Amino acid sequence: MEMNEETSGERKLKCGDTSKCFELLESILDGEIDNSKEVLKEKLAKCQPCFEHYHLEQAIRDVLKTKCTKHKVPNELADGIRQKIQEIK
Amino acid sequence: MSEVQRRKYSQEEKNTIFDGEFMPHIDSMYNFAYRLTFDEDDAKDLVQDTYLKAYRFINSFEQGTNAKAWLFRILKNSFINEYRKKSKQPAKVDYQEVETYYNSDDVDYQSTTDLRAESVKGMIGDEISNALNSLAIDFRTVIILCDLEGFTYEEMAKILDIPIGTVRSRLHRARNLLKEKLKGYAQHMGYNTEEEEEI
Repeated sequence: MEMNEETSGERKLKCGDTSKCFELLESILDGEIDNSKEVLKEKLAKCQPCFEHYHLEQAIRDVLKTKCTKHKVPNELADGIRQKIQEIK
Repeated sequence: MSEVQRRKYSQEEKNTIFDGEFMPHIDSMYNFAYRLTFDEDDAKDLVQDTYLKAYRFINSFEQGTNAKAWLFRILKNSFINEYRKKSKQPAKVDYQEVETYYNSDDVDYQSTTDLRAESVKGMIGDEISNALNSLAIDFRTVIILCDLEGFTYEEMAKILDIPIGTVRSRLHRARNLLKEKLKGYAQHMGYNTEEEEEI
């Protein structure tokens, strides 16, 4: 698994504070943390649970974005709204 | 600030704002409404009500600011005030109870260890949608706003009328619940999970 990571052998197998780390990783994935590159690089290189959590969260965001069923807006909806607006103008 | 709030748009300006800034979001609005109501007619009514309210209160919208967030806030409030009351769905799990339960660190850790990124990547759209749709409404909503619609935490805080810290923690809990659901699908479908390795 994940053999492409040079440092994978050195990652610690237990995370000191998963609750705090995971929330931080999620905020980074959500684009809410500025200048997060260095922090992220270090965490992923040193901690196996953080590494796995990050990639799992990333995969979930990807599938939500790309695979969630999208519903087509019924054709008559926009026209109906415009008509109602005309009536109250 | 107060000058902006007192400002009255001319009829022409109203039309420009409505067509140029409000109507382009109808697609996102309809999808949000559908994911709240699970019903095409209810979703249509909800979107229409939202746009009529938006027009009626257009003077309180500042031109050039975030129209999408403003519209989503109206839609969310309309849903809570009107549609949720008459919803035929059975009572959902008590939100506070769920929130407290999933705030526990043990649950937090355990719930994530045996679902793999590879399993998630292999799932089909229906499984993802069903997992999302099965979440209680408050959890479903934050995931829709963040992951499907790309709102920032700050925008979500305004849409939902909650502090940013609550947005962050509710999202975290929502994602843990979603992972539980996805793990169920992964095991059911025979995707590789750690629990099954020894079987």
